[in-house]
Parts: sequence; C-alpha cells; structure tokens
Amino acid sequence: MKRFLSLLLGVVIITIQMIGFSGCDNETQPEKFKAYYFDYFDTATTIIGYAESKEEFDKICEDIKTQLNKYHRLFTIYNRYEGLNNLVTINDVDDGKHNVVTVDKEIIDMLTFAKEMYHKTNGTVNVAMGSVLKIWHVYRNAGLDDPFNAELPPMDKLKDASKHTNINDLIIDAENNTVFLADPEMSLDVGAIAKGYAVEKVADYLESKGITNFLLNVGGNVRTIGMADTEKWKVGIENPDTNNEEQPYIEYLKVAGESVVTSGSYQRFYVVNGENYHHIIDPETLMPGTKYRSVSVLTDDSGIGDAMSTALFLMDYEDGKQLVESTDNVEAMWVLPDGKQQYSSGFEAYTFEYVQK
Amino acid sequence: MKNNNSQKNQKLRNDIILAVVIVFIAAAGLLLFVLTKQEGSTVAVKIDGVVTDTYPLSENREVSIKTGENDENINILTIKDGKASISEADCPDKICVETRAVSFVGETIVCLPHKIVIEITNEKTDDQIDVAV
Repeated sequence: MKRFLSLLLGVVIITIQMIGFSGCDNETQPEKFKAYYFDYFDTATTIIGYAESKEEFDKICEDIKTQLNKYHRLFTIYNRYEGLNNLVTINDVDDGKHNVVTVDKEIIDMLTFAKEMYHKTNGTVNVAMGSVLKIWHVYRNAGLDDPFNAELPPMDKLKDASKHTNINDLIIDAENNTVFLADPEMSLDVGAIAKGYAVEKVADYLESKGITNFLLNVGGNVRTIGMADTEKWKVGIENPDTNNEEQPYIEYLKVAGESVVTSGSYQRFYVVNGENYHHIIDPETLMPGTKYRSVSVLTDDSGIGDAMSTALFLMDYEDGKQLVESTDNVEAMWVLPDGKQQYSSGFEAYTFEYVQK
Repeated sequence: MKNNNSQKNQKLRNDIILAVVIVFIAAAGLLLFVLTKQEGSTVAVKIDGVVTDTYPLSENREVSIKTGENDENINILTIKDGKASISEADCPDKICVETRAVSFVGETIVCLPHKIVIEITNEKTDDQIDVAV
C-alpha cells in the first residue's frame, strides 16, 4: 500500500512538473516570426520562419524580398521597368511584329522550363496562350467591376485568338540570351508557371545559404525549407466548398521541405448569369476547366507543383493519375465535382488526422 | 503489537490525506492550465505588416478598418461566435469578403488591395495550422 502511494505521489509530482514547465521552456529555443508583403506577383506573400531574434528574421526577410522583387520584375506581363527587358518587352509589338529581345538568363531558364512542362503535360500548360488568356482577363475584370453587366467572351473571338498559341513560335536562343515570338499575334502568359518557379528559385537560394526552418507562401504557392523548428509544418487543404463552415479544410498535411500548391475553381472567378467562371482555362475548350473542384499537388519543387496543379486540374483523371505516378516526387489529391476525393499512391503518407481543440 | 498497528493505520491515513491533497492540487492546476490554454485566441489586424489592433475572438463585435492616405478604404471586420470574417469591403476584388470565417490559430484573411491581414493568434498555443492552400 505504501509503495503504491509513493508511486502515485511520484507520478503526480512528475505530471505537475510537466504541466508547469511545458509552457515556458522556450527561452533558449528559436522564436516563430511572420511577415506579410503585397508587392510581388500581384498576390500576397507570407513568410514564416524560426530565428533567434526579430533582427535575424528581418534580415532574412530583406534577402527574400530582394529575390522576390527581382523575379517579379523579370516575369511580370503587366509592368514595365525602365532599363529592364522583361516579359512585357518580349510581348511588345513594333511595326506589326515582335522583336528579338535580349534578356536576363533567369528569363531564358524559366521559359526553357515552361517548354519542358508543355511537353510533360501534353500541351495542357502552355505559356504561349497569352492571346486567349488576355481576352478572359479583360472580360473577368470587367465582370468584377460591373457584376450586373458581366459577360462571357464570345467563342469566335477566343477561337481566333487560339490560332496564335503555338509553343514552337516561342524561340529561345540560350547561347545569345535572346527570346523571339515568331507569330506577331501571339503573346506569353506565364501565370501558371512563373510564380511557383520563382518561389522554388528563392527557396534554393535560401537553402544554399544554409537557412532553414522557413516557409514561403506566395499567393498559395507554398514551399517549406526544413522543418517548423522541431516539428513538421502543418498545411490545411481548403475545402473547395467555401460555404461549408463546419469543415474549412478537407485534409491536413505535415511536410518538411516540400511544396504544396492547389488549383481550384473557387479561387479566382467571376459570375455571369448566376454561374461561376474561374481562371484556369482549358486549351482545348478555351473555357474554364470543369473536371474538378480542386487539385492539390505535393512535390519537392514548387515550379513543378505550380505547373502540375494547373495541368492536373485540366486533364482527365486517368491521364493525370498516370502522369503523377510516372513522375518522381509528385503526389496529388483530386476533388471531384461531387466532393469525392481521389489520391495518388503516396499522398496519404503526408496526411494527419486533425483533432478539434 | 496493537499499539503498533494503530500507529501504522494513523500513518496510512496521513499518507492518504496527503496523496488526495496533492492529486487535488494537480487536478486544479491542470484544469486551470487547460482553461487558460483554450481561451485567449486573439484577432490581430495587421496593416502593411504592422499590428494596429487586437480583439479577443470570444467577444462579438464589428470593427471598421480604415486604410489609405485619407482613410478612404474600408473593410468591416466581424467577430461573431468565435469566428472572424470580413463582412464588407470596398476593395476591387472582394477576395477578403469571399474568404470563409477563420477561427484556427494561424489562420488568416488577406485583403491584397488594402494591404490588410487578419490573423488568429494565441500566445499560449502553437499554430493549429501554419498555412492554408
């Protein structure tokens, strides 16, 4: 009896100590910091990181901002910068034709990657679709500005534009660092690639400097660098049914070093006659893809993740699944129109049960 | 022998009382810890990265967040039933209004045109999720 009591006492004291100390033992551990920026890739950037001090975190953030700013200026299709040749310069038309434009090596590399992804996805991800996407962009913005008069782009207009989307007319000369669009009516839109590609480049840069325990989120392109201090990062996959208040997330993932990207019909859309029309345009139908509510891609490369999430969103399930299974380090989850979820073979190894507090 | 026995019993009783007291204190401590841990989630309003206001998530309220040089931009933050949302805004894209109400520690609502981030924070717990995609 006595032995039992002293055992009980011991357990109780240890429990008290564990409770008492668990909340305040982080004096020597790195602290978690967050920063938000609004100036890159027309979206919000979140940086989360563990550092010894606010000063150290801020210093790394300044470094990240410099990098993001560099890629933003090079890859934007909307903004011109004095003395800088970027995608706007490549898309420019003088006297009825495009110019041969000398560009930074970073643009050559990104467009070369874009061509690779075109072939890998059987043409589903096509950066030469600018002529078609431009029309959708104009109609979507007009519809958001004036919802009562929102309209769909006329199909004959889209079809005419689609005649000028041949990827082979994008001529990259890697030796001389020049880019030339051979079809005067074509233009580049790197919206499905450049953001993820840039995030990957910035993450590579941080890794090369030995920085770890950071997370970059540029408008939903998430790339983790190492762990969240001593644990893995917790990523919630949003419920595409945004009205479902009970279940905001349909899956929870734990990652350390990977990238997660979701393409969803709920993300950026406008409404015409009560129907939602989102921004992921199928090169075959020239209309927003309707096969899924969302597709999430988990991979070790955010550039591939960005391109693959768009491609899978537009591909038939069987073709998409085959593409995922035949590509190393890529896993995916598809949410079908009825809400049913499909997974690639390795996806569920990353999921965890979320226990409501 | 008899005397010895009753002494033993007395000792045992004291031990039991001591054990009960300690268990009681531990339980009370645990209860207090759990209670303070679950309470105290805060809605932090950040404008261009700087925290301008914080409100308890447990109290219903409506706040008008004004931004821009002459306070010309308006977002209405609504805290209701333990959830925070942007119920109205005069930004061009209205993405913040479309975003669902948040309540998990670490969740955010972003208004890009007005450079506003609404974040659920809690000093006593880890983020429930780090990021949503």
